Amino acid sequence: MVASSVASVVVVGGGIAGVSTVTELRKNGYAGGLTLLTADPFPYDRPPLSKAYLSGAKDLESIALQAPEWYAGQRIDVIRGLAAALDPAAGTVTLSDGRQLSADRIVLATGGWPLWPDIERVVRGLLDRPPAGSGIPRSTTGIHLLRSAEDADGLRAVLLPGARLLVVGAGLIGAEVTSTARKLGCEVVLVDPANPPIAAAVGAQVAEWLHSLHALHGAETVTATVEKVESTNAGVVAQIAGEASPRTFDAVLLAVGMVPDTAMAKEAGLDVDNGVVVDDHQVTSHPTVLAVGDCARRQGHRRAEHWEAAVHDGARAAATILGVDAPAASAPWFWTDRYDLHVEVVGEMHEPEGEHEQVVRGTLGEPPFTVFTLRGERVVGAVAVDDPKAVRAARRMIDRGVDVRAADLADPSTDLRQLLRSAR
Amino acid sequence: MTAHSGNGGDSTGIRVASVDDIPEGEGIAISSDITGTDDDIAILRKEDGTCWALNDTCTHETASLAEGWVEGDDVECPLHSSTFNLRTGKVDGLPATRDTVAHRVEVRDGEVYLFPGERP
Ligand SMILES: Cc1cc2nc3c(=O)[nH]c(=O)nc-3n(C[C@H](O)[C@H](O)[C@H](O)COP(=O)(O)OP(=O)(O)OC[C@H]3O[C@@H](n4cnc5c(N)ncnc54)[C@H](O)[C@@H]3O)c2cc1C
Ligand code: FES
Repeated sequence: MVASSVASVVVVGGGIAGVSTVTELRKNGYAGGLTLLTADPFPYDRPPLSKAYLSGAKDLESIALQAPEWYAGQRIDVIRGLAAALDPAAGTVTLSDGRQLSADRIVLATGGWPLWPDIERVVRGLLDRPPAGSGIPRSTTGIHLLRSAEDADGLRAVLLPGARLLVVGAGLIGAEVTSTARKLGCEVVLVDPANPPIAAAVGAQVAEWLHSLHALHGAETVTATVEKVESTNAGVVAQIAGEASPRTFDAVLLAVGMVPDTAMAKEAGLDVDNGVVVDDHQVTSHPTVLAVGDCARRQGHRRAEHWEAAVHDGARAAATILGVDAPAASAPWFWTDRYDLHVEVVGEMHEPEGEHEQVVRGTLGEPPFTVFTLRGERVVGAVAVDDPKAVRAARRMIDRGVDVRAADLADPSTDLRQLLRSAR
Repeated sequence: MTAHSGNGGDSTGIRVASVDDIPEGEGIAISSDITGTDDDIAILRKEDGTCWALNDTCTHETASLAEGWVEGDDVECPLHSSTFNLRTGKVDGLPATRDTVAHRVEVRDGEVYLFPGERP
């Protein structure tokens, strides 16, 4: 058991970052008081909200992050409620219903909200950012956002066969919803000004191929911006730039990115700059407050908006509270799914420029295949489609900084594990 | 090959593969038709050459652990990277939260014998 001088911890937010924090604290011997405050009915996982949960293949219970009895077994007090104010000096969190929690350390794990796009709109009754778990539906007018299970429920209700759906934004979530909606028999128009979208995350070649899958699966893709969205009695009327007349849809999903939920931190006087600013130990500008996951940004780093980054933040925060070394860092990794393809990305997918070179293992567009980015003889990134072993090998190559030859990577008959072994 | 219940009694186990058919660090899936169990069973070979067996379906979603990455005493799920201990089936790391089942394996004369339902 680790002897920590911290007697009590309150974690605000029951997403993967908050749950990882409490999981890691207990796993590593923290014996003090532990409270997890969550605005949701219970802590659940978000990635299925655009995939199996949205399609109806999974229900809310089956995407719980931990079984309900697990929290009791670990002596974690799960409180349902919405934190309204934070006082770092006093070590208190005040809930919207007036209840107050106090602790030696407070961990902010409040996640984020879908970004509101810069579209001229007439949206009756739709609030920009209703509080999570407030029960206020965000989708009363046929215009949807997607971050919570409530949001997914609202969207799922309209994804009936033949329904006309406009998806604004072809990033990871927009693309996943397009794929799910096509599976459900909806007519989908996917609009994004970038061509191809997500090139920065997966490299232009793979991005182009992934984007082309939408048309192949019967979704219409338009490279443009959406200028206006208006809820009318006949449906949602949208004006796409460059088109002569507006089109009418049954529903619109706005999926143009997310903004970190930092309002309470800012109000409390913590440093906020595109996320609650934290140091390498997840500590904010006040020593008793830590921040993890999508709401936080490590100074000198870009803010990550992926599941595993939130897990790592939670592990680092737990280590900080316990006063032990943080687990070793690993190259950033995320996955996304569309049209029954599993796409994984590790490291950085630099475009070939100067010292960077891209190498395809297999045939691009014929899964399984992997595209590696090399800088000299070092792998710096990889994107794999249905090729989990290659991406796991790539991650280790990046983490261990091993030298490899492009020709070896490109040859599907080369055993990547052997390459790793021989480089040890 | 005939199906065995594998519970107790059968001291020979079920011959499921030649050890050379499983590259070190990789796995193969044995159908439940052969193992007589509810789930398919993954035979996983560590880098030290030893063989281990776990229920093949990841307890998170439906990934096959035989497709996973074996390293040290663990196998990493090919979909979302939860890891399972080869000896105990214990999961370490979200998103999977439930342990899986480990089964006893023996290698004799280069052949892998599986004892479904028996703990390693
Ligand atoms: C639809 C969707 C699909 C995704 N798919 C993938 C994927 O395939 N792969 C991948 O790597 N990543 C994916 N992501 C991203 C990933 O889910 C996020 O990076 C991750 O959820 C971040 O975790 P978090 O705990 O920081 O924030 P969140 O998951 O947003 O959790 C924050 C929690 O805090 C609660 N909260 C907020 N404010 C308060 C308050 N004041 N009081 C109490 N509670 C509060 C919220 O209700 C919420 O439960 C997806 C995200 C979404 C939305
Ligand atoms: S299916 Fe194994 S971790 Fe998700």
